[in-house]
Amino acid sequence: MLVALITGLATGALYAAAALTYNVMFSTSKVLSVTTGHISMLGGIFGAWFLSTLGWPIPFALLGSMFVGALFGLLTDFIAIRRVLARSDEHLWLLSTLALATMVQQAAGLWWGTEPKPFPRLIPQDFSAGLGDQKYWLPIAIAILLAVALELFYRRTLYGKLFVAMSEDAFAARARGIPTDRIRSMSYVIAGAMGGLAGFAAGQLTFAYFALGLTLTLNGFIALAVGGLGSNVGALVGGAALGILSAVATYFVGGEYQQTISVGLLMIVLLVKPAGLFGSQSVRPV
Amino acid sequence: MKPAGKTLALLLVAAALVTLPWWSGDQYKLHLAALICAYWVLIGGLNLVVGYSGQLSIGHVGLLSIGAYCFTILAGTHGIHPGIAIVAAGGLCALCGFLLGLPSLRLPGFYFAMATLAFALIVAEITLAQTALTGGGVGLAVPGFPEPFDTPAGTYWLILAIAALVTWLTWNVARHTWGRGLVAVRDSAVTAQAVGVPVFRAKLTVFVFSGFTAGVAGALFAVLQSYITPDTFVFDLGLFFFVCIIIGGRGHIIGPMVGTIVLTALPEMVAPLAKLGNFFYGLLLLAVVLLVPEGIGRVFELLMQRLRPRRVESHVVKPDLERLARAIAKGKAAG
Repeated sequence: MLVALITGLATGALYAAAALTYNVMFSTSKVLSVTTGHISMLGGIFGAWFLSTLGWPIPFALLGSMFVGALFGLLTDFIAIRRVLARSDEHLWLLSTLALATMVQQAAGLWWGTEPKPFPRLIPQDFSAGLGDQKYWLPIAIAILLAVALELFYRRTLYGKLFVAMSEDAFAARARGIPTDRIRSMSYVIAGAMGGLAGFAAGQLTFAYFALGLTLTLNGFIALAVGGLGSNVGALVGGAALGILSAVATYFVGGEYQQTISVGLLMIVLLVKPAGLFGSQSVRPV
Repeated sequence: MKPAGKTLALLLVAAALVTLPWWSGDQYKLHLAALICAYWVLIGGLNLVVGYSGQLSIGHVGLLSIGAYCFTILAGTHGIHPGIAIVAAGGLCALCGFLLGLPSLRLPGFYFAMATLAFALIVAEITLAQTALTGGGVGLAVPGFPEPFDTPAGTYWLILAIAALVTWLTWNVARHTWGRGLVAVRDSAVTAQAVGVPVFRAKLTVFVFSGFTAGVAGALFAVLQSYITPDTFVFDLGLFFFVCIIIGGRGHIIGPMVGTIVLTALPEMVAPLAKLGNFFYGLLLLAVVLLVPEGIGRVFELLMQRLRPRRVESHVVKPDLERLARAIAKGKAAG
């Protein structure tokens, strides 16, 4: 039972990291990118490649993964977001990010292979460590670290305040002389680096697997929607709740119905509290 | 094109399609044509949801899967007549569409897309887990159609007829009040509501209809596959349906139809594309979204306009000077 809880918490931490990545991109562009999970997938795959195939030392591999993630974030903004936001049709970004995500997933599958490959140990540790194993606490630590760093960034730095200004009202921010395009690119780079870091840290839990992206996109989104769109605390709570719930359900019911249960959670929260647990209700259809 | 020319072209295409078994040459091409028709049964219904009412459902493969399993279990395991089994598959999927659409169609765009994605994954999970019913990972053998339709040509004709029926139904929906209402919902839900379109009911109705066609398509698809496992209904297939519509152009029927034909046939004809698979679809989708968001159909429209510019009618005004002079003279005489 305890193992189930810890596994759930670790998986939930990965979902929370994906939800945080969603949040950073959403704050400046109001776009929920389908590529969110694929950033972490790339982080995991490239991390394993740098470490096992190229034999890089761990700090370099970590930086390399974050760099790959950041590069992919920037590409997402350049290819799929920039041109589409200029048009008025509001659903086009969903299509363009979906197209990009599909391409990246297939390219990763062709290059890396469709089998999950093991991720090397990051810290020397015995495999008999049980619950203290690094594959559990690394993702948890990274998710908390990311959330704290984001809060500090938003509250203490000038660029963080620009992000907040853009998420409040992009037009007003532009009118006050904020280079909104550049800030948006920056948010995508930051989100990419975060996703790459999370994928790298969770590599031992998820393995370097090309189809991880779509699962993570969906579950990260569920964590985000449960916690409340735009809230970082909500992302952590939503991710943890989702991870623990599906782990406990797996423990009692069996592993076949994981997805069904997590979507059930989403539906219940959306029906009872559409803005999520920590979200702010601001619906203005006209 | 003049109406007479249009009718002629339509008749020619219909004749070509009906006589396909005699001139297609090999069985594989016939199978491919039947597969395209089966896909179109689903995509035609989905087109009303995605193309007309603008609800981006990427998880219709879940409904296809339910339809296929329902048909196989009823007709194979329980020995019910396949004709009844097809209708039952459609009915079950319409019910599933209703149950899925009831909560999820109230959600905004991205939430809805994610809900349908989750639905597809849930169906995949359940078909794999319910070993007693679906055979789990081992799969099920699908029975063929009975007497007049048991040859490849007979199967093709049956599927073609159903595809034609679906096309006719969607065309009827699209060109009347309903279709206009759906387009209004797609372009601005608030405005549509203000002018009296029952937004939620309209979306739900077409979603249930698309569920029915997806179920029928699932049954036809299962017969063409002749053996189904949960791996037959990968999520990529749902993405493929979606891409066909977006590439063909939203708000048309011909566009998605051409998209279905081209996207199904192209990877079969050009081997390297089949290896790239999803990458190719993603690239195509990205190119269409970035360059012509209205779909490939729009490109043809523009080309047609470019090739056949509208004839400029000349309206040269020739003053009738003599008559003018006479009128002036008359005026002078009177004055």
